[in-house]
Order: sequence, then C-alpha cells, then structure tokens
Amino acid sequence: MTEEIDPGELPPVVRIVDDDASVRAAIEDLLASVGLESRSFASTRAFLDGDAPEAPGCLVLDVRMPGQSGLDFQRQMASLRIGLPVIFITGHGDVPMSVRAMKEGAIEFLMKPFDDQALLDAIQSGIGRDRVRRAFEAEITTLRARYDELTPGERAVMDSVVKGLLNKQIAGLLDVSEITVKVRRRQVMLKMGATSLPQLVRIYDMVASSATDGQNPSGAEGR
Amino acid sequence: MAQKVIVVATGSRIGRTSIVAVLTAAVFALDTVTDLEIATAVFYIVVILIAIGLFSRRGVVRLAIACIALTLCSAALTKSGSYEAGLINSGISIAAIAITTWLALRMIAAEAAAYEARAQLIRIARVNSLGELAASIAHEVNQPLSAITTSGDACLRWLAADPPNLERARLAAGRIVDDASRAGKVVARVREHMRGEAAERREMSLNDVVAESVALAQSEIDRGGVTVRLDLTELLPPIQGDPIQLQQVLGNLILNAIEAMADQPAPSRSLDLRTWADNGIVRLCLGDAGIGVSEDNLPFLFDAFWTTKKGGTGMGLAICRTIVEAHGGTIRAKLGSPVGLEIHLGLPAAARS
Repeated sequence: MTEEIDPGELPPVVRIVDDDASVRAAIEDLLASVGLESRSFASTRAFLDGDAPEAPGCLVLDVRMPGQSGLDFQRQMASLRIGLPVIFITGHGDVPMSVRAMKEGAIEFLMKPFDDQALLDAIQSGIGRDRVRRAFEAEITTLRARYDELTPGERAVMDSVVKGLLNKQIAGLLDVSEITVKVRRRQVMLKMGATSLPQLVRIYDMVASSATDGQNPSGAEGR
Repeated sequence: MAQKVIVVATGSRIGRTSIVAVLTAAVFALDTVTDLEIATAVFYIVVILIAIGLFSRRGVVRLAIACIALTLCSAALTKSGSYEAGLINSGISIAAIAITTWLALRMIAAEAAAYEARAQLIRIARVNSLGELAASIAHEVNQPLSAITTSGDACLRWLAADPPNLERARLAAGRIVDDASRAGKVVARVREHMRGEAAERREMSLNDVVAESVALAQSEIDRGGVTVRLDLTELLPPIQGDPIQLQQVLGNLILNAIEAMADQPAPSRSLDLRTWADNGIVRLCLGDAGIGVSEDNLPFLFDAFWTTKKGGTGMGLAICRTIVEAHGGTIRAKLGSPVGLEIHLGLPAAARS
C-alpha cells in the first residue's frame, strides 16, 4: 500500500485517542506496518493540547473514556473548528450510539476487537476526505484573499453583477458611467480568475459561504 | 437411609382445608350443645387463624361471615341458659371473630407486600449485579483482547513485509503476550472476588434453603403459572456455607426454569425439587419441563458469557457454579426425560462434631 503524496503537501498523520495504552500502541504499530504515520493521545484533552492541526489525516476515537466521551467530543469538534474526519472504535457500541455517530458525520463505527483491514480502509477514506476538505478550504482562502484585494468600487460592481444586474442598471445604481462599470467588471473577472459569469457567481458563493462572521461581501447572506 | 416425606403442595392444602372444615363443625356442635352462658363461638378465631395461610383474602372473609352466621345459628338453636347472657356472649364472639379477621387480613396484606418487596429486591439485585458485573468484565477483558487482535494483525503485516521486519514483529508479539496476561489477571481477579464472598460459613439444612428460595420466588412462580412439587427428604444432614449465596444459586435456577417454561402450555409447567443424601453428599435435583438445551450445548451451560436466552448475560449459571464450587460442591446439568432440563447439585455434608 503506497501513498501518493503531492510534493509540497504534508504527509498524513492519523490521530489516535484512546485511554488504553495497549490499544494505542497496537494501533500505532498496525499503522506503522502499512507506512502510516500516527500520533496517539490518552484523552481528548491531551489531543487538543498536543495536536498539530496543519497535518492532514483523520481521528481514530474511542467512545468510552474517562473524562469526555468520544461522542461528546465529536459534537464539540465543529465549534472548535476541527474538521478531521472521525472513525469511532468502541468495546460496547449499540445501534443508537452508532446512528448518532454516523449522523454527525463519522466515517466508520468499529466494534473492538475490529478487523485491521476495516480500520485501514476507514482511515484511507478518512484521509482522502480530509484532503478534499483541505483543498477546498485552501481554494476558498485564496479566493477570499483575492476578493479582499478588490477595490471598493470593483467589489460593488461584483456584488451587483452576481445578482444578475445589467451594466446599465449597475451604472445607475452606483451612479457611475457604464464604461466605468465595464472596466471594473473586466478587472473583477481578471482578479478573481473567472472566465465566465456563471464561474464568477460560483466563486462569489464560495467566498460568501466562507465569511460568516460579519465581513460578508456586502449584501450577501451567509448561505 | 432417611425416610422420605412427599410434600405435594396441592395435597397438603386439601388436608388442611378439611381440618378447617372439621374444626368449624366441632365448634358449631359444641357451641350449640353448651349453654348460652358459655361463649364457645370464640374458638372460631382458631379456624380463622388456620385459614389465613390457606385461603385468599376473599376466602378468609367468606369464612368469617360463615362463622358469624353459625354463631347466630347456634345461639338460636341452643335452648338452655339465660337469653341475655347468650346475646352478650354471641356479641363478644362475633366481635372477636370480626377483629381477628380484620387483623388477619392486614397481616396477609403486609406479608404479601413484604414478600413482593423482597422478591423485587432479589430480581433487581440479580439484574443489577449481573448486568454491571458483566459489563465491567466485558470492558476490562475486551480492551486487552482488542489490543491483542490489532497487535497480531500488525505482527503478521511486519512478517509479510518484504523483507520481513522481524524486530517489529517480535515487539508486536511481546505486546500480545503482555496483553494476554493482563486479560488473564482480570479473570483471576473476578474469580478471587467471587471466592471472597463465600466468607460466611454456617450450618444449615439444604431443605430450608430450598423452601426459602421457593418462597422468595413465589410471585415469579405464580406469574409463570408454574406448579412446584417439593420432594424433600426429612432429617437431611446439614451442610455448611453461606445461606444467602446458596439462596442466590437456587433463586437463579428457579427463575431460569420458569423462563424456560414460559412458552410451554400451562398444564405442563412444572418444577420438581428433590433433595436426598448419599455418602456424605447432600444432593438436590431441580427438574423443569421447559425448552431445555440441545445435547451439544450441555457442556457449555455453566460457562461465563454463554447463553441461549435472548438478552441474557450468560453470567447466571457461571456465578452459580462459582458459588457451588466455593462451597466445595458440584453442579451439573442433564437433559430431563421426556423434556426439560435437570440441574444436579451436590454439597458436602457438614462434619459432625
């Protein structure tokens, strides 16, 4: 099993959170045997304190632990802005528990003792999902930066263009000449890297969805 | 060889009911024959007191009413004696019968409530302790088991690598050994814990343990519509041990038997409890007419976590065996004939000092 790693991208790291040292050591070793790097933590607290979030990967999480349970931690992850895909491992799962975990977006819910291949497959799909997520987030960050580089005038034109207004209407709305609108519109397309109006609308939506904290593009809703 | 006394529940009931009838007739006859001044009717309270353990609440009330009617009847039939004294005496007798009945009924209710509460408690304790015990053992054994499985998988992968990584494989195998001994320690601790509980040693009769256990399980027996037949050998040599633990064993066996017969037609739901002694061993055979188990499964019956019941923990019979063995006894199962299951229990008789 080989990993294709793009140059410039960090190698994936699997995070393991389980209160049992033997289980942690065993999983780490299993992952090492297939060439996967891992880091393990005895509790969710230790994970929060010690994890390096920039590395892509996924989280192998025990359900029953002293302190915070894995399921509660999964709930909390969104508000902590931790986007790592989760794979649950548990010694005594039941159907409601697994349903809850899967509803919250878990990749897998494995019963201990689990099949090694099932865990490895889940981890691979988790890493894949994390890569896609990170690529998407990186794209949004780039677009957001580009949007922030627009002049206020260009930004105003972009906001109106994506609403489907005609150049003439925009000119009237912004109280500038139609030529100015056309020039700014060309600048917007160029700076945002869009080649068509539909593409510009898509980019605008992505930028808008990323900014939910007050610095929305003017007039755009969070979603 | 000790003599055997067959105590069949329904048979003894008929016997005692006839005693009540005879006694009632005797009191009536005496009351009618004697003078009005003699309040023989007061003796109806003996009839009532005997009837308490025999009849339902309604039955006792009916009997009391009958006794009062007979008192009045006797007073009317009796010719000799002062009429005034007869009136007073009849009044006193009727009051005594009424008060006795009232107190008896309260006693029945209180006893029933107490039994119900105790039975409930036993059920709860059984479910709780078994459930919790099983869950915690399951968790404690499952962790090292899970680590062993994963380490084993890792070990195989290190060996299958090209070239094989023997050092990493050796480390993984070392972890497997450590985790296996950890799991073993958990099991040893559980056994130690169970053994430690058999601390109390008291001389007692196995018959008493059986009777107590049947009484405790009475509400379950009634609910299950099960007929219990006791065939207890009198003058059984005493055994030594913890009566509560042995009651727990018997209770467990009885409840299992009731559960096993739940789907059988009502008339065939019978539970036989037989005690006897041979060669210094006090024996009990508990035979039900339930669904039994398949012959292949007999050897596993007393293993922990082995169950044929939906939702069973597989701990009940395992704990029974641990307790019996802690008492130096044996427990085994064989198929009943024609149906059901027989549990045979043997406990060493206490050494006579």
